[in-house]
Amino acid sequence: MLKTKSAEKGVGFLQLELENFYVEEIEFGDRTAFKDGVLTIDKEEALSVVREDDKITDADIRIVEPGDEVRLVPVKEAIEPRYREGGGPVFPGVTGPLMQAGDGRTKALKNTSVLVVGKHWGGFQDGLIDMAGEGAKYTFFSRLKNVVLVADTNEEFEKREQQKKNKALRWAGMRLAEYLGRAVKDEKPDEVEKFDLPPVADRVCDMEELPGVVLVMQPQSQMEEDGYNDLSYGWDTNRMLPTFMHPNEILDGAMISGSFMPCSSKWSTYDFQNFQLIRRLYEEHGETLNFLGIIMSNLNVSMEEKERSAQFVAQIASSLGAQGAVVAEEGYGNPDADYIACLVALEDAGIDTVGVSNEATGRDGGSQPLVSLDPKADALVSTGNVSELIELPPMDTVIGELESLARDGLSGGWADDEELGPSVREDGSIIMENNSMFCGDGISGWSTKTVKEF
Amino acid sequence: MENKAVVFINQFFGQIGGEEAADHEPIIKDGAAGAAQALDAHFEGEIVKTIISGDNYVASNQEEASERIIDLLEGVEFDIIFAGPAFQAGRYGQACGTVGKAVKEKFDVPAVSSMHEENPGVDLYKKHMYIFPGGDVAARMQEDAEKMARFGNKLLQEEGPFLQEEEGFFKRGKRHQYFLPDETPAADRAIEMLLKKLNDEEYTSELPIPELDTVDISPAIENLSEAEIALVTSGGIVPVENPDQIQSASATRWGKYDISGLDRLGNRDMDAYRTIHAGYDPAAADKDPNRVVPVDAMRHFEKEGRIGKLHDYFYSTVGTGTTEGEAARMGQEIAEDMKNNGVEAVILTAT
Repeated sequence: MLKTKSAEKGVGFLQLELENFYVEEIEFGDRTAFKDGVLTIDKEEALSVVREDDKITDADIRIVEPGDEVRLVPVKEAIEPRYREGGGPVFPGVTGPLMQAGDGRTKALKNTSVLVVGKHWGGFQDGLIDMAGEGAKYTFFSRLKNVVLVADTNEEFEKREQQKKNKALRWAGMRLAEYLGRAVKDEKPDEVEKFDLPPVADRVCDMEELPGVVLVMQPQSQMEEDGYNDLSYGWDTNRMLPTFMHPNEILDGAMISGSFMPCSSKWSTYDFQNFQLIRRLYEEHGETLNFLGIIMSNLNVSMEEKERSAQFVAQIASSLGAQGAVVAEEGYGNPDADYIACLVALEDAGIDTVGVSNEATGRDGGSQPLVSLDPKADALVSTGNVSELIELPPMDTVIGELESLARDGLSGGWADDEELGPSVREDGSIIMENNSMFCGDGISGWSTKTVKEF
Repeated sequence: MENKAVVFINQFFGQIGGEEAADHEPIIKDGAAGAAQALDAHFEGEIVKTIISGDNYVASNQEEASERIIDLLEGVEFDIIFAGPAFQAGRYGQACGTVGKAVKEKFDVPAVSSMHEENPGVDLYKKHMYIFPGGDVAARMQEDAEKMARFGNKLLQEEGPFLQEEEGFFKRGKRHQYFLPDETPAADRAIEMLLKKLNDEEYTSELPIPELDTVDISPAIENLSEAEIALVTSGGIVPVENPDQIQSASATRWGKYDISGLDRLGNRDMDAYRTIHAGYDPAAADKDPNRVVPVDAMRHFEKEGRIGKLHDYFYSTVGTGTTEGEAARMGQEIAEDMKNNGVEAVILTAT
């Protein structure tokens, strides 16, 4: 344990050890287990965990790997399978009782994710993943060996709604991820990563020379009704004010993804668990900067709420002594107002700020990139254009239902278009907007895309 | 097959006269005439025609000149139009822009020009064609023409798209996503940018904030009690069957719906009106569409005599994900319809 002044007085702080197990192969077998890089899944037992919720009416598990000629749609969620030592919930306040996340040991299956796919019905917030070909470059999850839960539910109230809460499916995905995580309960990891950021007021001397930096996260929280927004320890982020969090909490299941916002702009639960900006700030901590922690903000509906959150963020950052900040926005369009307001509030407080988000420049690239603009937002990283048109050939196999892209109001699909025809063509080829690429704009830090003038 | 180009130049560079010929009407010549030869030296293909016109004529009669030039080109086979170089000559720059844009749009071929950065043609036409930064005077002819020709070769021979920062033409305001060849993830780019900013080193924002296209607020209506007022919404309120098939996001369509004689809008349960907007919770709007399109309140003001009349139609589209370009076009179309129908003022309800 690190020695700190507060520790001497008996005050602890969050110390997380992520024990990583690298999955090289996934197969079905008699018993769910992990050995020598091979994850074996007892399908029937896994499906019985999925079916614990009687809203699940139909379920199957498939395995897909990079290079497989497979198209997944409508994809609703991605989760990294994990096991919390001691058996506590991987997602406190969501899959089990509240407890402190980010402290202790958590075992993680790497190079893999549980992908949740609707057997039939999609919605505005759902996305598409191609595991091979041209389409594979658009989503991070095309690089992973994935355990795909494809299922249907009896949530009749939203079957034909464009906005879906996807609750039964998302929760089934988390149960399955926890079930698979238990496979490594008693196993020795390939690698242990330590995340131990001491109390802000208690950093060793040389830290005082380095600029303090906060990461401001703006998770999607713009639905007033329960069930759509990202959750923080199970709490609807729409109903919170910006607060200070330890980065370990986010890396260890404190936040789960919601079910709102065009898909390429979203952060899946997997993205929260592996938040690249947090990992990068940890790498720099003590070298080039002093990583103060996370200001968990949100995205709002009314102007006053947007301004209130921005004001809280700037106050917390300056009170912590931040000289620098990175702001990441999970979304585009209306929430650009929250994003820009937050960047401006931080700059006005004298804090050097960088923003990370995507743009909406239109199919022709000619539209204003963000809804709200301000010259003070002078350092922006751009991760993609939501409305870029993408045309992809048919795939051998579709998991889910291809027609959902055109039929169900996915943000990047359409039933018909005067110029382009329908999103889904008879031969199985598709034309869509980037909007529906599953978490495709990698705003958590994955994106190798930017936006440039042509 | 050899690529074919058409070149547009003014009276001076076409050697039909100086300032006195500035109102000369367009003529067409075979091959590379006059200064078009400077392009011919570097263009990998054939310059099939040269259009020569007085630049003042084109700049002062843009529509007519465009039509005349399009007529001259009917039946000519070509793959690209070069206009200029125009240096710092303002009228010539405008003429190059007018012709380049018109020919590009009519014949669906790329248009390439070159102008000095202070030529007013740059700001007017850089969105519509490739304009390279050029010299201020004609002494730069060879260099500027070579740049145009070489880029023309590239346009016709390579697939593209062509990065502005590599090619060097004036920014056209066309931003598209781009996979970085070195695959540097956004997290690294953000932290590196932040460290540079903190250390007062130079960095390049990936999204330079563009100049804002703001619209002045109209003067207040003098006599509200006589004014006809229309309601417009981007909140997606439509008759339940959505007769105009307006999209739920990224809309390109709008509709207008007759409300004459209605005291208020009926709701979704009554099979009357609902919202098709996918960017907000529809529950409240479906239950009472008047909260997005306040027909009931406007009728109240109408009865009180506070306003002259509520326009017989309300106008609707969807704002979520809708690009600024499409929104501006729809706004212009809606405004045109209103002007033709006696609307004096508008209440625009957002969501």
